[in-house]
Parts: sequence; C-alpha cells; structure tokens
Amino acid sequence: MRLLVHLVAKDLLRKMRSPLGLIAVLCFPLLFAGMIALAFGHGDSIPKVRMLVANEDDGLLANGVASVFTSQQASKFFDGKTVTTAEGRALMEQGKASALLTIPKGFTKDVLDGKPVTLRLLRNPSEGILPEIAEQTTGALTDILDGGRRVFDKPLADLRPLLDDDGKAPADADIVAISLAVKRAIEGMSNLVFPPAIALESEMFDNVKAAPQPDEHEKGDAPSSIFLLVLPGLAVYGLFLVADQGMRDVMTERTLGTLRRQLAGPIAPESIILGKAVYTAVLAGMAIVVIGGVGAAVLSSPVSIPAFLLLSCALVLAVTGTTAAIYGVARTERQASTLGNMIFLAMGFLGGGFIRVEGLPPAVRGIAPFTPLYWGTQGYRALLENGAGVRGVATHVGVLALMGIVFLGIGVAGLRRTARRGASA
Amino acid sequence: MFQVQGLVKSYGPLRAVDGVSFTVAKGELYGLLGPNGAGKTTIMSMLSGLLAPDEGRILFDGIDLAGEPLKVKAQLGVVPQEPALYENLSARENLSFWGGLYGLSGAPLKAAVDRVLELVGLTDRAKDPVKQYSGGMKRRINLALGLVHGPRAVLMDEPTVGIDPQARLNILEAVKQVAASGTTVIYTTHYLEEVEQLCDRIAIMDHGKILAEGTLDELKRRVGGRDIVTVRGSFDSAAVMPRFEALPGVQVTSVEPGRLVLSVEGSGRGAVDLLSRVLADGLSIDGISIQPPSLNTLFLNLTGRELRD
Repeated sequence: MRLLVHLVAKDLLRKMRSPLGLIAVLCFPLLFAGMIALAFGHGDSIPKVRMLVANEDDGLLANGVASVFTSQQASKFFDGKTVTTAEGRALMEQGKASALLTIPKGFTKDVLDGKPVTLRLLRNPSEGILPEIAEQTTGALTDILDGGRRVFDKPLADLRPLLDDDGKAPADADIVAISLAVKRAIEGMSNLVFPPAIALESEMFDNVKAAPQPDEHEKGDAPSSIFLLVLPGLAVYGLFLVADQGMRDVMTERTLGTLRRQLAGPIAPESIILGKAVYTAVLAGMAIVVIGGVGAAVLSSPVSIPAFLLLSCALVLAVTGTTAAIYGVARTERQASTLGNMIFLAMGFLGGGFIRVEGLPPAVRGIAPFTPLYWGTQGYRALLENGAGVRGVATHVGVLALMGIVFLGIGVAGLRRTARRGASA
Repeated sequence: MFQVQGLVKSYGPLRAVDGVSFTVAKGELYGLLGPNGAGKTTIMSMLSGLLAPDEGRILFDGIDLAGEPLKVKAQLGVVPQEPALYENLSARENLSFWGGLYGLSGAPLKAAVDRVLELVGLTDRAKDPVKQYSGGMKRRINLALGLVHGPRAVLMDEPTVGIDPQARLNILEAVKQVAASGTTVIYTTHYLEEVEQLCDRIAIMDHGKILAEGTLDELKRRVGGRDIVTVRGSFDSAAVMPRFEALPGVQVTSVEPGRLVLSVEGSGRGAVDLLSRVLADGLSIDGISIQPPSLNTLFLNLTGRELRD
C-alpha cells in the first residue's frame, strides 16, 4: 500500500509540474458545452420545438400521430398545436412555428388498407436545430408506424371492420382472433420489407416573412439548462481523454527509461501497472470533481449525491479499464494514441457523447449500449433530467463496473507485456 | 558476492552473450571492457534482473537471481547507460522517489539524499528541475539515483558516455569513493583509461565472450612485454606475411589487405629492428604505428583490431 501511494504521489507530482495537457482536456467539455449553450442564444432555458399539426384526417391513427406532439408527455420538448392546414401555413409564413406536420385526409383508412401514405413536414428555415428535431422525431415516428403496420397487417385488417361498426363492442371471438393474429405477427416480424409503405416528405418552407424570437411565455420552462443538457455526454467523453493521459504514462516512462529503472528495483511489474491504474483513476476522479462542481454551480434542481458518487466511481473504473485495455493492446505510445483517439471519438458519437442517443439512427442506437460512454452519459442524464436516485442508476453502475473490471483485466495482461518489453529494451 | 555461470543470451541468430562466467568479490571494483556490441549491456541487464538469460545463472551472495529476483534487486543499485530521470522533478524529488522505492522514508531518506547529492556535487542545485541540468549534471544525478538507497553492489553501465572531461572526472571520482566505501561495483566501459584508473580486476570482452580476465598487471603481463606494430601500405598482405613470420620474435596477429598487425618481442628494441628490416626490404609502406604493452595492445593482440574500431 505504501509503495502504491509512493508511485501515485510521484505521478501526481509530475502532473502538477506539467499540468497544461490535463487542464486543456478538463476545459474541453466545459468550453464545448458552454459554446453550445451560447449558440442557442436565448439564455439558458431549452427552447421547445413549436410544432403545428394539421390533422386533415381525424381518424384513429391520425389522432395518435398528432398526439405525439400535442400530448402532456411531449410538452417537455414540443409546444404542439393542432391547426387547420391554412392556419398552419399562415403561422409558418409569419415564422411563428418550427415545423408544420400535415396528416392527409384518409390517412387512417389508407394505413389500415395497406396503401402507401405520406406525411408532409414543412420546416422553418429561419430556425436552426429545432426544425431538425421535429424532422428527426417525425422520421422516427414514421419508421415505427411503418414497421407496426407491416408487422400487424393481419390484425389491423381484422380490426378495421370493428372500427367502422358504429362503436358496438366487438365479440369475444373477434378479440381472440385478433390476439392470435397479433401473436403471429410478432413472430413474423422478420418479414419486414422495403420500401416503406408510410413515408415522410420533409421540405424547408420558403415563404417565411419573418422569424421573430419566441415570446417569453413561449420559451421552454424546463428547469435544466442547455449547458446541463449537453454537459454529461461531453464530460464523460472528456473523462476518457483525462484517463488516456494517465495510462499513457506507462509508455512515457518506457521511453524515459524510468520504467526499466523501476523494474530493476524491488518492485513487481504488477505493482507499477496498478500504480498507473490508481493514478489514472485519481485523475479521472479529479476531473469529475471539477466538471461536477461546474455543473452543480449552474444546476437549478438537486441531484442525488449518493447516486452521483456511485455512478462516478463506476465510471472512473470503466474509463480506467478502457484506457488500460487500449494501452495494453498497443505496442507503442504512438499506436496507443492513434487507437485511443479513434475509439474515444467513435464512442463519443455512438455512445451519445456528442449527439443524444435518441437522435441517432436506429441501427447506431443499437450499438450505443456496448460502449461505457453510453452508460456514463445516460446515467448522468438520468440524474440531471429525471432526478434519478441510486435505484435509478443501479443498472448504469452495474454495467460500468462490469465493463471496467473486464477491460482492466485485459489491460493489466497487456501492460505486463509492455512492462516486460520495457525491461528488456 | 557475484557468481556468474555460463551466461548465454541470443537474439535470433545473434549470440549476444556466449557462455560468460566470472566472479566478483565483495568490495571489488570489476570492469567489463569491450567495444560497442561486445555484450556488456546485455550482461548488465541480466545481472540487474531485467533480462532472463537463455542459459546459465547468476548468484548474489549465494541467492539465485532467477529464483528470488526481488530479494536480490533490493540489494543492488543500477546506473543505466542513458540517464533515466523525471525531468520536470528536481534532483531532490527524483532521489526521494527512488530512495522511497527501496523502502527508505523520513529522516533516513533525507540523510541518504543529502549524502548522494554531496557525493556527486549537486547539493546547491538540488531544488532545480532536472530539465535545467547540463548533460554532465544529468549523468551525475543518474549515478546518484543508483546509490541513494545504499546498495551493497552497484551495476554501472558506461556511466561516462558522451560527457565532457570535467563531468567525467567528477563521475570517476564518485565511483572511486563508492568503491572505497566497500560497495561492490561492476563497471562497463569501452574507455581503457577508465578501467586502468578504476578497476581492481578487468574482463576484456568481444563478440559476447570474455577474452581475458585479471588485474591490470596480470593482463599486461599477458601481452608479455611485446609491442604491437601495425604496418599499412600498398602491398599484398598475404604475400608478405611469411617474410614477417620468418623474423625472430615476430608473430602475425592480423592480416588484412594493405594492413598487417604484428606482435613483436623486445619492448621497443624489437619494433625498431623490425622497422629497419621492413624498410630494407623495399616494401611500399604508408605508415607504421608502434604501441607499447597496454590493455589496448592486449585487445589488439587478442582480436586483431583496436578497441575503438
């Protein structure tokens, strides 16, 4: 233990003497999140997507689509409003909406009949990201509807006469038949085919007369700021960069010749590697304290401290393990640096560090849970956005800890090889 | 103290160390002399437990290094060829770290640090970051790092390579003091004058083998008071070689195109006689060098080439 403390203290002292790299890496998530927050330009509250829905059909499915944007649950991100097509276009012309979704007449019937249908989305070109959010959400909704329509083709066909039957209760036999059809449909989900039968047409509305800023009362009133919305993903990404600096020291010491010198002393290679892992963990922990401190300074609602600490510890283990594995696999410092940058960047995109996972294509979304960055980011978001407690982040903590232990095992095995090479160099 | 038995280390087809055996007594300063590539550093790596030999074994006070490496390493000090330092830490911080690694702490550690700083003459620069040091000062602190924990034996691998004469003098003086304090030292170098000045016993190495071993006097006696005469010119070496071999007291050591190395009996007189004969024979000579008996002449005699070739 004394030896471990001695090794870590030496590394921390060295880092204190040359702190620029660490400071730069620590500043990255804070600056980047701050810049994104500033880019929105309306203070620190999240602007909502002002979504107009022109429901020309008013059928069961059409109402379902419209409710996605106008329901209570959607009110956190959407300021949804049901309008006629003419009203919608007028509001769009005045620049008073982010997007106008038109659900065509006969939508429900055509979907149930298996005919191709098209939803139309007009986007406001004078707004930046909000119409994009509207398009991404509508696109995802279209995919879900299209998939659902194909999977449940048979039960929907059975259901259609019942919907037309003037509100009479369906017979038990009909319900059983439809239930069986649903079961078979789910089993046959693999038969999904393309092209889609329900499509989304999205275009930029080019007749906007003005683009007024939303009124104060129209601004989002969510308590969290944009800064805090983007900070978790960037902070977790930043942690990987910090950990990279710690674990890279194994290679640096090999180059300096100090690794070889240590190995000529009464110290086992495993102790040196463990020392570097603890040093890396300490750096990552310090980074969490700094970033968490800044986050807490702008936070308006309380966060569960035990959950935060638990999640942070698991994340520190995961980033230490991940970087150890990278440096354990690589043969040279240059190789490790290249490999590390590639992996961190890929995780940043795939794991929701740069873009929220909900905004990623479905195929990419499936990869995200395989990255520790995803679990770290989602865990912090659960704390910040949903007010989750220890139970709310238990899965995140478990997965991160497991990933950390597995990766650390791989890393230690590889770094022992590096140490042996360093000794015989 | 050290018993080295039949060490072999190969890198692919290259046999870097080829059956080396020697013993070093307690308090002895033992020199390994040889040109670059002779296998000195490989032997030092094996002695310090950094490299496992393919064959052979190393005993330190009867303890097998391979069996109990940490126990042996705790009693050794290592001074690598290239300074291995933390450049953004001061000399005192470097020394404190390395001393602590060997278990020193508190007042004994501070005293040990002060002692070695004094030994290498860097007390007044102890708080400066090592990156501000000159090359010679880095070499001195590199030496101090190997001594700070008070090892029973120190392995010094060419500690004076590439430094100015003054810094070299400082280091050699420090090595003498270390040896005088009873610490066993194994010292590698390719500088003849260093082993002549420092070492109690010397092993001359080339191509991974020990060619000769003994005290300086013993080794000089092996040359047998013979001068080494090198004759260069535009002649057919193979053709003229029998003429030299026929001369009394002359042995041909090496034959290369336009170059003959001869071992000549007679301490100066023999070489002069040889010179007269060569000139009388009308050979086309570009140059003749005569070296009196020394380690270099021994090396030349043993290998046919100079230590610095």
